[in-house]
Amino acid sequence: MTDLLEVTNISKAYKLPSRWFKKRYIHALEPISFQIQAHKTLAIVGETGSGKSTLAKLLVGAETTTTGEIKLNGQSLHQGNFKQRCQHIRMIFQDSGTTLNPSLTIQQLLDEPLCLNTDLNEEERVQLIRETLHKVGLLAEHMNFYPHMFSGGQKQRVSLARAIILKPQVVILDEALGALDPSLRSQMINLLLDLQQQMGLAYILIGHNLGIVRHFSDDIIVLCQGQVVEQGKTLNVLNKPKHKYTKKLIMSQQYQLIHR
Amino acid sequence: MNLLDVRNLSIELLTNNKPILAVDKVSLTIKEGEVRGLVGESGSGKSLLAQAIMGVLDEKWHVDADRFHWRGNDLMRLSAEERKSIISNDVAMIFQEPMACLDPTATIGEQLEEAVDQQQFEGFFWKKRQQRKLEAINLLHKVGIKNHIQCLKSYPHQLTEALCQRVMIAMALAKKPLLLIADEPTAAMESTNQGQIFRLLASLNQLKNMSILLISHDLENVTHWTNTITVMYSGQFVEAGTTDQIFKQPFHPYTRALIDSSPTANIHIPTKSRLMTLPGSIPVLQHLPIGCRLGPRCPRAQRECVNSPKAKNHQGHQVSCHFSLKGSY
Repeated sequence: MTDLLEVTNISKAYKLPSRWFKKRYIHALEPISFQIQAHKTLAIVGETGSGKSTLAKLLVGAETTTTGEIKLNGQSLHQGNFKQRCQHIRMIFQDSGTTLNPSLTIQQLLDEPLCLNTDLNEEERVQLIRETLHKVGLLAEHMNFYPHMFSGGQKQRVSLARAIILKPQVVILDEALGALDPSLRSQMINLLLDLQQQMGLAYILIGHNLGIVRHFSDDIIVLCQGQVVEQGKTLNVLNKPKHKYTKKLIMSQQYQLIHR
Repeated sequence: MNLLDVRNLSIELLTNNKPILAVDKVSLTIKEGEVRGLVGESGSGKSLLAQAIMGVLDEKWHVDADRFHWRGNDLMRLSAEERKSIISNDVAMIFQEPMACLDPTATIGEQLEEAVDQQQFEGFFWKKRQQRKLEAINLLHKVGIKNHIQCLKSYPHQLTEALCQRVMIAMALAKKPLLLIADEPTAAMESTNQGQIFRLLASLNQLKNMSILLISHDLENVTHWTNTITVMYSGQFVEAGTTDQIFKQPFHPYTRALIDSSPTANIHIPTKSRLMTLPGSIPVLQHLPIGCRLGPRCPRAQRECVNSPKAKNHQGHQVSCHFSLKGSY
Protein backbone atom coordinates (compact mmCIF):
# COMPACT_ATOMS: atom_id res chain seq x y z
CA MET A 1 0.00 0.00 0.00
CA THR A 2 1.41 3.38 -0.92
CA ASP A 3 1.71 6.09 1.62
CA LEU A 4 -0.86 8.85 1.41
CA LEU A 5 1.02 11.38 3.47
CA GLU A 6 4.73 11.13 3.97
CA VAL A 7 6.43 13.44 6.41
CA THR A 8 10.19 13.45 6.63
CA ASN A 9 12.17 15.26 9.28
CA ILE A 10 9.94 18.28 9.72
CA SER A 11 10.81 20.53 12.62
CA LYS A 12 9.87 23.96 13.89
CA ALA A 13 11.98 26.45 15.76
CA TYR A 14 10.79 29.87 16.88
CA LYS A 15 13.30 32.69 16.92
CA LEU A 16 13.60 34.63 20.14
CA PRO A 17 14.82 38.23 20.24
CA SER A 18 18.56 37.89 19.91
CA ARG A 19 20.93 39.09 22.58
CA TRP A 20 23.97 40.82 21.12
CA PHE A 21 25.21 38.55 18.38
CA LYS A 22 23.87 35.35 19.78
CA LYS A 23 20.83 33.96 18.01
CA ARG A 24 18.38 32.16 20.25
CA TYR A 25 15.74 29.65 19.24
CA ILE A 26 13.00 27.70 20.91
CA HIS A 27 12.71 24.27 19.38
CA ALA A 28 8.98 23.65 19.51
CA LEU A 29 9.28 20.48 17.46
CA GLU A 30 12.38 18.38 16.89
CA PRO A 31 12.66 16.55 13.53
CA ILE A 32 9.90 13.99 13.15
CA SER A 33 8.98 11.62 10.33
CA PHE A 34 5.98 9.39 9.78
CA GLN A 35 3.75 7.97 7.06
CA ILE A 36 0.00 7.53 6.92
CA GLN A 37 -2.00 5.33 4.58
CA ALA A 38 -5.59 5.84 3.53
CA HIS A 39 -8.18 4.31 5.92
CA LYS A 40 -5.69 4.63 8.80
CA THR A 41 -5.60 6.83 11.88
CA LEU A 42 -2.49 8.23 13.49
CA ALA A 43 -2.78 9.43 17.06
CA ILE A 44 -0.49 12.03 18.57
CA VAL A 45 -0.49 12.24 22.35
CA GLY A 46 1.46 14.33 24.80
CA GLU A 47 1.09 17.02 27.43
CA THR A 48 0.64 20.74 26.83
CA GLY A 49 3.72 22.23 25.27
CA SER A 50 4.78 18.94 23.74
CA GLY A 51 4.41 20.24 20.21
CA LYS A 52 1.20 18.43 19.25
CA SER A 53 -0.59 21.50 17.98
CA THR A 54 2.55 22.84 16.33
CA LEU A 55 2.71 19.65 14.28
CA ALA A 56 -0.92 20.08 13.25
CA LYS A 57 -0.30 23.68 12.22
CA LEU A 58 2.72 22.65 10.15
CA LEU A 59 0.71 19.99 8.35
CA VAL A 60 -2.14 22.30 7.35
CA GLY A 61 0.32 25.02 6.43
CA ALA A 62 -0.64 27.58 9.04
CA GLU A 63 3.04 27.72 10.05
CA THR A 64 6.09 27.38 7.86
CA THR A 65 8.41 24.49 8.55
CA THR A 66 12.00 25.14 9.55
CA THR A 67 13.33 21.94 8.00
CA GLY A 68 11.86 18.90 6.33
CA GLU A 69 9.40 17.98 3.65
CA ILE A 70 5.75 16.93 3.47
CA LYS A 71 4.71 14.71 0.57
CA LEU A 72 1.12 13.99 -0.35
CA ASN A 73 0.66 11.09 -2.81
CA GLY A 74 4.33 11.37 -3.70
CA GLN A 75 4.07 15.09 -4.53
CA SER A 76 5.78 17.46 -2.19
CA LEU A 77 3.64 20.27 -0.76
CA HIS A 78 5.07 23.74 -1.15
CA GLN A 79 5.01 26.45 1.44
CA GLY A 80 2.32 28.96 0.73
CA ASN A 81 0.51 26.94 -1.91
CA PHE A 82 -2.72 26.85 0.02
CA LYS A 83 -4.95 25.98 -2.91
CA GLN A 84 -3.34 22.59 -3.32
CA ARG A 85 -3.03 21.95 0.38
CA CYS A 86 -6.42 22.98 1.72
CA GLN A 87 -8.20 20.72 -0.71
CA HIS A 88 -6.49 17.65 0.62
CA ILE A 89 -5.70 18.37 4.24
CA ARG A 90 -8.48 19.76 6.42
CA MET A 91 -8.67 20.42 10.12
CA ILE A 92 -11.30 20.35 12.88
CA PHE A 93 -10.70 22.34 16.02
CA GLN A 94 -11.46 21.73 19.66
CA ASP A 95 -14.09 24.36 20.30
CA SER A 96 -16.54 24.13 17.43
CA GLY A 97 -18.66 26.95 18.86
CA THR A 98 -16.01 29.60 18.33
CA THR A 99 -14.68 28.41 14.99
CA LEU A 100 -17.98 28.93 13.14
CA ASN A 101 -18.73 32.45 12.00
CA PRO A 102 -21.86 33.49 13.94
CA SER A 103 -23.05 35.94 11.27
CA LEU A 104 -23.25 33.38 8.45
CA THR A 105 -25.82 30.68 7.89
CA ILE A 106 -24.65 27.10 7.55
CA GLN A 107 -25.16 27.29 3.79
CA GLN A 108 -22.91 30.35 3.51
CA LEU A 109 -20.36 28.74 5.81
CA LEU A 110 -20.12 25.62 3.70
CA ASP A 111 -20.34 27.59 0.45
CA GLU A 112 -17.15 29.49 1.18
CA PRO A 113 -14.60 26.70 0.67
CA LEU A 114 -16.51 25.59 -2.44
CA CYS A 115 -16.47 29.06 -4.00
CA LEU A 116 -12.78 29.45 -3.35
CA ASN A 117 -11.57 26.02 -4.41
CA THR A 118 -13.91 24.64 -7.04
CA ASP A 119 -15.61 25.93 -10.21
CA LEU A 120 -19.01 24.41 -9.56
CA ASN A 121 -22.05 26.57 -10.34
CA GLU A 122 -24.54 27.55 -7.69
CA GLU A 123 -26.93 24.67 -8.21
CA GLU A 124 -24.20 22.07 -7.97
CA ARG A 125 -22.83 23.71 -4.86
CA VAL A 126 -26.19 23.62 -3.10
CA GLN A 127 -26.59 20.00 -4.11
CA LEU A 128 -23.15 19.17 -2.70
CA ILE A 129 -23.89 21.01 0.56
CA ARG A 130 -27.12 19.07 0.88
CA GLU A 131 -25.32 15.77 0.36
CA THR A 132 -22.59 16.64 2.82
CA LEU A 133 -25.04 17.67 5.53
CA HIS A 134 -26.83 14.40 5.01
CA LYS A 135 -23.54 12.54 5.35
CA VAL A 136 -22.81 13.99 8.78
CA GLY A 137 -26.31 13.28 10.01
CA LEU A 138 -27.93 16.71 9.63
CA LEU A 139 -30.94 17.66 7.55
CA ALA A 140 -31.09 19.78 4.42
CA GLU A 141 -33.29 22.31 6.29
CA HIS A 142 -30.36 23.05 8.58
CA MET A 143 -28.80 25.00 5.69
CA ASN A 144 -30.66 28.15 6.67
CA PHE A 145 -29.83 27.93 10.37
CA TYR A 146 -27.27 30.06 12.14
CA PRO A 147 -24.59 28.41 14.31
CA HIS A 148 -26.16 29.58 17.59
CA MET A 149 -29.29 27.56 16.83
CA PHE A 150 -27.35 24.31 17.10
CA SER A 151 -26.32 22.34 20.15
CA GLY A 152 -22.68 21.54 20.85
CA GLY A 153 -22.72 18.16 19.16
CA GLN A 154 -24.43 19.52 16.07
CA LYS A 155 -21.90 22.35 15.80
CA GLN A 156 -19.13 19.78 15.83
CA ARG A 157 -20.98 18.02 12.99
CA VAL A 158 -21.15 21.26 11.01
CA SER A 159 -17.41 21.76 11.36
CA LEU A 160 -16.92 18.16 10.27
CA ALA A 161 -19.11 18.88 7.23
CA ARG A 162 -16.94 21.90 6.45
CA ALA A 163 -13.88 19.68 6.67
CA ILE A 164 -15.10 16.93 4.36
CA ILE A 165 -16.99 19.02 1.79
CA LEU A 166 -13.93 19.31 -0.45
CA LYS A 167 -13.41 15.53 -0.36
CA PRO A 168 -10.05 15.70 1.38
CA GLN A 169 -7.70 12.80 1.96
CA VAL A 170 -6.40 13.76 5.38
CA VAL A 171 -8.43 15.24 8.25
CA ILE A 172 -6.69 16.54 11.35
CA LEU A 173 -8.70 16.38 14.56
CA ASP A 174 -7.10 18.78 17.02
CA GLU A 175 -8.66 17.73 20.36
CA ALA A 176 -11.96 17.62 18.49
CA LEU A 177 -13.41 14.97 20.78
CA GLY A 178 -12.14 16.33 24.09
CA ALA A 179 -14.81 18.81 25.07
CA LEU A 180 -17.89 16.87 23.97
CA ASP A 181 -20.33 15.17 26.30
CA PRO A 182 -19.88 11.41 26.53
CA SER A 183 -23.01 10.36 24.65
CA LEU A 184 -22.32 12.87 21.85
CA ARG A 185 -18.68 11.85 21.79
CA SER A 186 -19.49 8.24 21.04
CA GLN A 187 -21.90 9.39 18.30
CA MET A 188 -19.10 11.49 16.82
CA ILE A 189 -16.62 8.60 16.98
CA ASN A 190 -19.10 6.35 15.18
CA LEU A 191 -19.66 9.02 12.53
CA LEU A 192 -15.93 9.54 12.00
CA LEU A 193 -15.36 5.79 11.68
CA ASP A 194 -18.19 5.49 9.14
CA LEU A 195 -16.80 8.34 7.07
CA GLN A 196 -13.38 6.75 7.16
CA GLN A 197 -14.88 3.56 5.77
CA GLN A 198 -16.84 5.34 3.04
CA MET A 199 -14.36 7.95 1.88
CA GLY A 200 -11.03 6.35 2.73
CA LEU A 201 -10.01 9.26 4.92
CA ALA A 202 -6.82 9.26 6.91
CA TYR A 203 -7.15 10.89 10.34
CA ILE A 204 -4.56 12.49 12.50
CA LEU A 205 -6.04 12.47 15.99
CA ILE A 206 -4.55 14.81 18.55
CA GLY A 207 -5.76 14.23 22.06
CA HIS A 208 -5.01 12.98 25.51
CA ASN A 209 -7.83 10.57 26.32
CA LEU A 210 -6.03 7.25 25.91
CA GLY A 211 -9.29 5.28 25.91
CA ILE A 212 -10.40 7.02 22.72
CA VAL A 213 -6.90 6.79 21.25
CA ARG A 214 -6.83 3.07 21.88
CA HIS A 215 -10.21 2.56 20.28
CA PHE A 216 -9.76 4.88 17.33
CA SER A 217 -6.19 4.78 16.08
CA ASP A 218 -3.86 2.35 14.33
CA ASP A 219 -0.56 4.07 14.99
CA ILE A 220 0.57 6.35 17.78
CA ILE A 221 3.28 8.92 18.35
CA VAL A 222 4.07 10.04 21.88
CA LEU A 223 5.56 13.51 22.07
CA CYS A 224 7.32 15.07 25.03
CA GLN A 225 8.70 18.60 24.85
CA GLY A 226 8.93 18.49 21.07
CA GLN A 227 10.69 15.16 20.90
CA VAL A 228 9.34 11.84 19.74
CA VAL A 229 9.45 9.55 22.74
CA GLU A 230 7.77 6.51 21.29
CA GLN A 231 6.29 5.59 17.93
CA GLY A 232 4.57 2.47 16.74
CA LYS A 233 1.34 0.47 16.60
CA THR A 234 -1.15 1.76 19.18
CA LEU A 235 -1.81 -1.55 20.88
CA ASN A 236 1.87 -2.42 21.14
CA VAL A 237 2.78 0.94 22.62
CA LEU A 238 -0.11 1.09 25.07
CA ASN A 239 0.29 -2.51 26.21
CA LYS A 240 4.07 -2.49 26.47
CA PRO A 241 5.25 1.08 26.97
CA LYS A 242 9.02 1.31 26.84
CA HIS A 243 9.72 4.90 27.73
CA LYS A 244 9.31 6.31 31.22
CA TYR A 245 7.17 9.19 29.98
CA THR A 246 4.69 6.92 28.19
CA LYS A 247 4.39 4.81 31.32
CA LYS A 248 3.67 7.92 33.36
CA LEU A 249 1.01 9.03 30.90
CA ILE A 250 -0.70 5.66 31.01
CA MET A 251 -0.46 5.48 34.79
CA SER A 252 -2.11 8.86 35.16
CA GLN A 253 -5.15 7.58 33.30
CA GLN A 254 -5.17 4.23 35.00
CA TYR A 255 -7.28 5.76 37.73
CA GLN A 256 -9.89 6.49 35.14
CA LEU A 257 -9.72 3.04 33.65
CA ILE A 258 -11.67 0.95 36.03
CA HIS A 259 -9.59 -1.25 38.26
CA ARG A 260 -12.12 -2.35 40.79
CA MET B 1 -25.50 11.82 60.17
CA ASN B 2 -26.57 13.46 56.97
CA LEU B 3 -24.79 16.72 56.32
CA LEU B 4 -27.06 17.75 53.53
CA ASP B 5 -30.48 16.29 52.90
CA VAL B 6 -32.35 17.62 49.88
CA ARG B 7 -35.63 16.10 48.84
CA ASN B 8 -37.49 16.96 45.63
CA LEU B 9 -35.67 20.16 44.86
CA SER B 10 -37.08 22.07 41.89
CA ILE B 11 -35.55 25.13 40.29
CA GLU B 12 -37.65 27.26 37.97
CA LEU B 13 -36.46 29.94 35.60
CA LEU B 14 -39.01 32.76 35.68
CA THR B 15 -39.58 34.12 32.19
CA ASN B 16 -42.17 36.43 30.68
CA ASN B 17 -44.37 33.59 29.48
CA LYS B 18 -44.31 30.34 31.37
CA PRO B 19 -41.71 29.46 33.98
CA ILE B 20 -39.26 26.81 32.76
CA LEU B 21 -38.57 23.94 35.08
CA ALA B 22 -34.80 23.63 34.81
CA VAL B 23 -34.33 21.18 37.66
CA ASP B 24 -37.23 18.84 38.32
CA LYS B 25 -37.52 17.16 41.74
CA VAL B 26 -33.97 16.07 42.41
CA SER B 27 -33.02 14.45 45.70
CA LEU B 28 -29.51 14.49 47.08
CA THR B 29 -28.07 13.41 50.40
CA ILE B 30 -24.49 13.80 51.53
CA LYS B 31 -23.18 12.05 54.61
CA GLU B 32 -20.26 13.21 56.71
CA GLY B 33 -16.91 12.26 55.22
CA GLU B 34 -18.41 11.06 51.97
CA VAL B 35 -17.29 11.80 48.42
CA ARG B 36 -20.37 12.01 46.25
CA GLY B 37 -20.16 12.30 42.50
CA LEU B 38 -22.81 14.30 40.65
CA VAL B 39 -22.74 13.26 37.03
CA GLY B 40 -24.68 14.64 34.10
CA GLU B 41 -24.10 15.95 30.62
CA SER B 42 -24.11 19.64 29.85
CA GLY B 43 -27.49 21.24 30.51
CA SER B 44 -28.47 18.65 33.08
CA GLY B 45 -28.67 21.26 35.83
CA LYS B 46 -25.85 19.99 38.00
CA SER B 47 -24.20 23.39 38.33
CA LEU B 48 -27.60 24.95 39.07
CA LEU B 49 -28.11 22.44 41.85
CA ALA B 50 -24.73 23.34 43.31
CA GLN B 51 -25.57 27.03 43.13
CA ALA B 52 -28.92 26.40 44.78
CA ILE B 53 -27.16 24.65 47.66
CA MET B 54 -24.84 27.63 48.01
CA GLY B 55 -27.83 29.96 47.77
CA VAL B 56 -26.28 32.21 45.16
CA LEU B 57 -29.06 32.12 42.56
CA ASP B 58 -30.61 35.52 41.87
CA GLU B 59 -34.26 36.61 41.54
CA LYS B 60 -34.72 35.10 38.08
CA TRP B 61 -34.64 31.66 39.63
CA HIS B 62 -37.20 30.20 41.98
CA VAL B 63 -36.06 27.38 44.24
CA ASP B 64 -38.55 25.07 45.89
CA ALA B 65 -37.98 21.92 47.91
CA ASP B 66 -39.90 19.48 50.08
CA ARG B 67 -36.94 19.26 52.37
CA PHE B 68 -33.72 21.21 52.46
CA HIS B 69 -31.82 20.36 55.60
CA TRP B 70 -28.26 21.27 56.50
CA ARG B 71 -27.14 19.27 59.56
CA GLY B 72 -30.71 19.15 60.80
CA ASN B 73 -31.49 22.85 60.20
CA ASP B 74 -34.24 23.54 57.72
CA LEU B 75 -32.70 26.10 55.41
CA MET B 76 -35.97 26.94 53.64
CA ARG B 77 -37.39 28.43 56.84
CA LEU B 78 -34.41 30.62 57.64
CA SER B 79 -34.06 34.17 56.45
CA ALA B 80 -31.55 34.97 53.76
CA GLU B 81 -29.00 36.37 56.22
CA GLU B 82 -29.13 33.43 58.62
CA ARG B 83 -28.85 31.03 55.74
CA LYS B 84 -25.91 32.90 54.30
CA SER B 85 -24.03 32.85 57.59
CA ILE B 86 -24.52 29.08 57.97
CA ILE B 87 -23.62 28.22 54.39
CA SER B 88 -20.64 30.55 54.13
CA ASN B 89 -19.17 29.02 57.28
CA ASP B 90 -19.65 25.40 56.39
CA VAL B 91 -19.67 25.09 52.61
CA ALA B 92 -17.03 26.12 50.09
CA MET B 93 -17.00 25.83 46.33
CA ILE B 94 -14.31 25.59 43.67
CA PHE B 95 -14.93 26.16 39.99
CA GLN B 96 -13.70 24.96 36.65
CA GLU B 97 -11.13 27.03 34.77
CA PRO B 98 -9.27 28.27 37.86
CA MET B 99 -7.25 30.73 35.79
CA ALA B 100 -10.40 32.59 34.85
CA CYS B 101 -11.76 32.62 38.39
CA LEU B 102 -8.73 34.18 40.05
CA ASP B 103 -8.28 37.94 39.89
CA PRO B 104 -5.64 38.63 37.24
CA THR B 105 -4.71 42.02 38.72
CA ALA B 106 -3.78 40.84 42.21
CA THR B 107 -1.08 38.47 43.40
CA ILE B 108 -1.91 35.07 44.82
CA GLY B 109 -0.76 36.29 48.24
CA GLU B 110 -3.20 39.21 48.31
CA GLN B 111 -6.07 37.04 47.18
CA LEU B 112 -5.31 34.34 49.72
CA GLU B 113 -5.01 36.79 52.61
CA GLU B 114 -8.37 38.22 51.64
CA ALA B 115 -9.93 34.77 51.93
CA VAL B 116 -8.45 34.04 55.37
CA ASP B 117 -10.93 34.09 58.24
CA GLN B 118 -10.52 37.21 60.41
CA GLN B 119 -12.22 35.79 63.50
CA GLN B 120 -9.42 33.48 64.55
CA PHE B 121 -6.82 36.22 65.05
CA GLU B 122 -6.25 38.17 68.23
CA GLY B 123 -4.12 41.09 69.28
CA PHE B 124 -3.47 44.43 67.68
CA PHE B 125 -3.64 45.04 63.99
CA TRP B 126 0.11 44.62 63.36
CA LYS B 127 -0.03 41.24 65.04
CA LYS B 128 -3.06 40.34 62.98
CA ARG B 129 -1.23 41.17 59.78
CA GLN B 130 1.57 38.81 60.74
CA GLN B 131 -0.88 36.07 61.61
CA ARG B 132 -2.75 36.52 58.38
CA LYS B 133 0.44 36.09 56.37
CA LEU B 134 1.33 32.94 58.29
CA GLU B 135 -2.13 31.55 57.77
CA ALA B 136 -1.89 32.11 54.01
CA ILE B 137 1.43 30.25 53.92
CA ASN B 138 -0.11 27.50 56.02
CA LEU B 139 -2.97 27.13 53.56
CA LEU B 140 -0.57 26.79 50.66
CA HIS B 141 1.31 24.07 52.52
CA LYS B 142 -1.94 22.24 53.12
CA VAL B 143 -2.60 21.93 49.40
CA GLY B 144 0.93 20.74 48.72
CA ILE B 145 2.62 23.89 47.44
CA LYS B 146 6.06 23.89 49.03
CA ASN B 147 7.55 26.91 47.31
CA HIS B 148 5.26 29.40 49.04
CA ILE B 149 7.56 32.45 48.71
CA GLN B 150 7.52 32.29 44.92
CA CYS B 151 3.84 31.39 44.76
CA LEU B 152 2.59 34.20 47.00
CA LYS B 153 4.38 36.78 44.89
CA SER B 154 3.16 35.57 41.50
CA TYR B 155 0.09 36.52 39.49
CA PRO B 156 -2.37 33.86 38.29
CA HIS B 157 -1.09 33.93 34.71
CA GLN B 158 2.40 32.99 35.90
CA LEU B 159 1.24 29.70 37.39
CA THR B 160 0.16 26.54 35.65
CA GLU B 161 -3.48 25.53 35.65
CA ALA B 162 -3.02 22.75 38.22
CA LEU B 163 -1.26 25.17 40.57
CA CYS B 164 -4.09 27.69 40.15
CA GLN B 165 -6.61 25.01 41.03
CA ARG B 166 -4.57 24.20 44.15
CA VAL B 167 -4.67 27.87 45.12
CA MET B 168 -8.46 27.83 44.64
CA ILE B 169 -8.69 24.80 46.91
CA ALA B 170 -6.50 26.61 49.45
CA MET B 171 -8.93 29.54 49.43
CA ALA B 172 -11.84 27.17 49.88
CA LEU B 173 -10.10 25.58 52.86
CA ALA B 174 -9.63 28.94 54.61
CA LYS B 175 -12.90 28.64 56.52
CA LYS B 176 -12.41 24.94 57.27
CA PRO B 177 -15.58 23.87 55.47
CA LEU B 178 -17.46 20.67 56.20
CA LEU B 179 -18.51 20.32 52.58
CA LEU B 180 -16.50 21.22 49.50
CA ILE B 181 -18.41 21.52 46.24
CA ALA B 182 -16.05 20.96 43.32
CA ASP B 183 -17.73 22.04 40.08
CA GLU B 184 -15.79 20.23 37.34
CA PRO B 185 -12.44 20.96 39.00
CA THR B 186 -10.43 19.27 36.26
CA ALA B 187 -12.29 20.20 33.08
CA ALA B 188 -9.90 20.90 30.19
CA MET B 189 -6.89 19.79 32.20
CA GLU B 190 -4.15 17.35 31.22
CA SER B 191 -4.55 13.87 32.61
CA THR B 192 -1.42 14.05 34.77
CA ASN B 193 -2.66 17.28 36.37
CA GLN B 194 -6.14 15.81 36.77
CA GLY B 195 -4.65 13.00 38.82
CA GLN B 196 -2.84 15.48 41.07
CA ILE B 197 -6.00 17.45 41.82
CA PHE B 198 -8.10 14.35 42.46
CA ARG B 199 -5.43 12.91 44.75
CA LEU B 200 -5.32 16.16 46.70
CA LEU B 201 -9.10 16.17 47.11
CA ALA B 202 -9.03 12.52 48.20
CA SER B 203 -6.35 13.20 50.81
CA LEU B 204 -8.30 16.19 52.17
CA ASN B 205 -11.33 13.95 52.41
CA GLN B 206 -9.44 11.29 54.34
CA LEU B 207 -7.33 13.49 56.62
CA LYS B 208 -9.83 16.21 57.49
CA ASN B 209 -13.00 14.16 57.08
CA MET B 210 -14.30 16.78 54.68
CA SER B 211 -17.24 15.77 52.51
CA ILE B 212 -16.88 16.49 48.82
CA LEU B 213 -19.54 16.90 46.15
CA LEU B 214 -17.67 16.18 42.94
CA ILE B 215 -19.48 17.46 39.86
CA SER B 216 -18.43 16.10 36.50
CA HIS B 217 -19.84 15.56 33.03
CA ASP B 218 -17.91 12.38 32.49
CA LEU B 219 -18.80 9.28 34.47
CA GLU B 220 -15.54 7.49 33.78
CA ASN B 221 -13.41 10.30 35.22
CA VAL B 222 -14.85 10.26 38.71
CA THR B 223 -15.56 6.61 39.40
CA HIS B 224 -12.19 5.99 40.98
CA TRP B 225 -12.58 8.80 43.48
CA THR B 226 -16.17 8.63 44.66
CA ASN B 227 -18.05 6.53 47.22
CA THR B 228 -21.50 7.27 45.87
CA ILE B 229 -22.77 8.72 42.62
CA THR B 230 -25.91 10.61 41.62
CA VAL B 231 -26.70 10.73 37.91
CA MET B 232 -28.83 13.49 36.39
CA TYR B 233 -30.19 13.98 32.91
CA SER B 234 -31.68 17.21 31.58
CA GLY B 235 -32.64 18.41 35.05
CA GLN B 236 -34.19 15.17 36.21
CA PHE B 237 -32.97 12.68 38.73
CA VAL B 238 -31.87 9.45 37.06
CA GLU B 239 -30.10 7.17 39.47
CA ALA B 240 -28.19 7.21 42.74
CA GLY B 241 -26.24 4.57 44.57
CA THR B 242 -22.76 3.48 45.52
CA THR B 243 -20.14 3.67 42.80
CA ASP B 244 -20.06 -0.11 42.50
CA GLN B 245 -23.83 -0.34 42.12
CA ILE B 246 -23.89 2.36 39.47
CA PHE B 247 -20.96 1.04 37.55
CA LYS B 248 -21.47 -2.69 37.69
CA GLN B 249 -25.26 -2.89 37.63
CA PRO B 250 -26.84 0.33 36.44
CA PHE B 251 -30.63 0.12 36.64
CA HIS B 252 -31.43 3.07 34.38
CA PRO B 253 -31.12 2.81 30.57
CA TYR B 254 -29.36 6.17 30.51
CA THR B 255 -26.61 5.12 32.91
CA ARG B 256 -26.26 1.85 31.01
CA ALA B 257 -25.80 3.82 27.78
CA LEU B 258 -23.25 6.15 29.39
CA ILE B 259 -21.13 3.22 30.50
CA ASP B 260 -21.49 1.34 27.23
CA SER B 261 -20.57 4.40 25.19
CA SER B 262 -17.23 4.89 26.91
CA PRO B 263 -14.30 3.26 25.10
CA THR B 264 -12.26 3.48 28.29
CA ALA B 265 -14.65 1.27 30.23
CA ASN B 266 -14.95 -1.26 27.42
CA ILE B 267 -11.38 -2.25 26.68
CA HIS B 268 -12.37 -5.68 25.49
CA ILE B 269 -14.40 -4.51 22.46
CA PRO B 270 -12.46 -4.63 19.17
CA THR B 271 -10.86 -1.37 18.08
CA LYS B 272 -12.62 0.68 15.44
CA SER B 273 -15.92 -1.12 16.08
CA ARG B 274 -19.04 0.97 16.54
CA LEU B 275 -19.77 2.17 20.05
CA MET B 276 -23.15 1.86 21.71
CA THR B 277 -24.80 5.25 21.77
CA LEU B 278 -28.10 6.97 22.36
CA PRO B 279 -29.68 8.55 19.27
CA GLY B 280 -30.41 12.26 19.15
CA SER B 281 -29.06 14.98 21.37
CA ILE B 282 -29.75 16.61 24.73
CA PRO B 283 -33.01 18.62 24.63
CA VAL B 284 -32.76 22.39 25.02
CA LEU B 285 -34.56 24.13 27.89
CA GLN B 286 -37.23 25.68 25.65
CA HIS B 287 -38.33 22.35 24.20
CA LEU B 288 -38.31 19.85 27.01
CA PRO B 289 -40.21 16.58 26.47
CA ILE B 290 -43.01 15.87 28.94
CA GLY B 291 -42.73 13.08 31.45
CA CYS B 292 -39.39 11.36 31.51
CA ARG B 293 -37.10 13.68 29.59
CA LEU B 294 -35.01 10.81 28.28
CA GLY B 295 -38.13 9.46 26.54
CA PRO B 296 -37.40 10.35 22.89
CA ARG B 297 -33.87 8.96 23.10
CA CYS B 298 -34.52 5.97 25.32
CA PRO B 299 -34.27 2.45 23.85
CA ARG B 300 -36.81 1.11 26.37
CA ALA B 301 -39.36 3.91 26.17
CA GLN B 302 -43.04 2.95 26.15
CA ARG B 303 -46.33 4.78 26.40
CA GLU B 304 -46.18 5.22 30.18
CA CYS B 305 -42.99 7.26 29.86
CA VAL B 306 -45.02 10.44 29.19
CA ASN B 307 -45.70 10.43 32.96
CA SER B 308 -42.73 11.29 35.14
CA PRO B 309 -41.56 8.16 36.95
CA LYS B 310 -41.18 8.17 40.73
CA ALA B 311 -37.86 7.33 42.32
CA LYS B 312 -37.80 3.77 43.62
CA ASN B 313 -35.39 2.59 46.27
CA HIS B 314 -33.76 -0.84 45.99
CA GLN B 315 -31.51 -1.23 49.04
CA GLY B 316 -30.01 2.24 48.79
CA HIS B 317 -29.89 2.15 45.00
CA GLN B 318 -32.46 4.68 43.83
CA VAL B 319 -33.63 4.70 40.27
CA SER B 320 -36.26 6.78 38.54
CA CYS B 321 -37.56 4.76 35.61
CA HIS B 322 -40.77 2.85 34.75
CA PHE B 323 -38.86 0.07 33.02
CA SER B 324 -35.66 -0.22 34.97
CA LEU B 325 -33.05 -2.81 34.08
CA LYS B 326 -33.25 -4.34 37.54
CA GLY B 327 -34.74 -7.60 36.34
CA SER B 328 -32.13 -8.16 33.66
CA TYR B 329 -29.19 -8.90 35.96
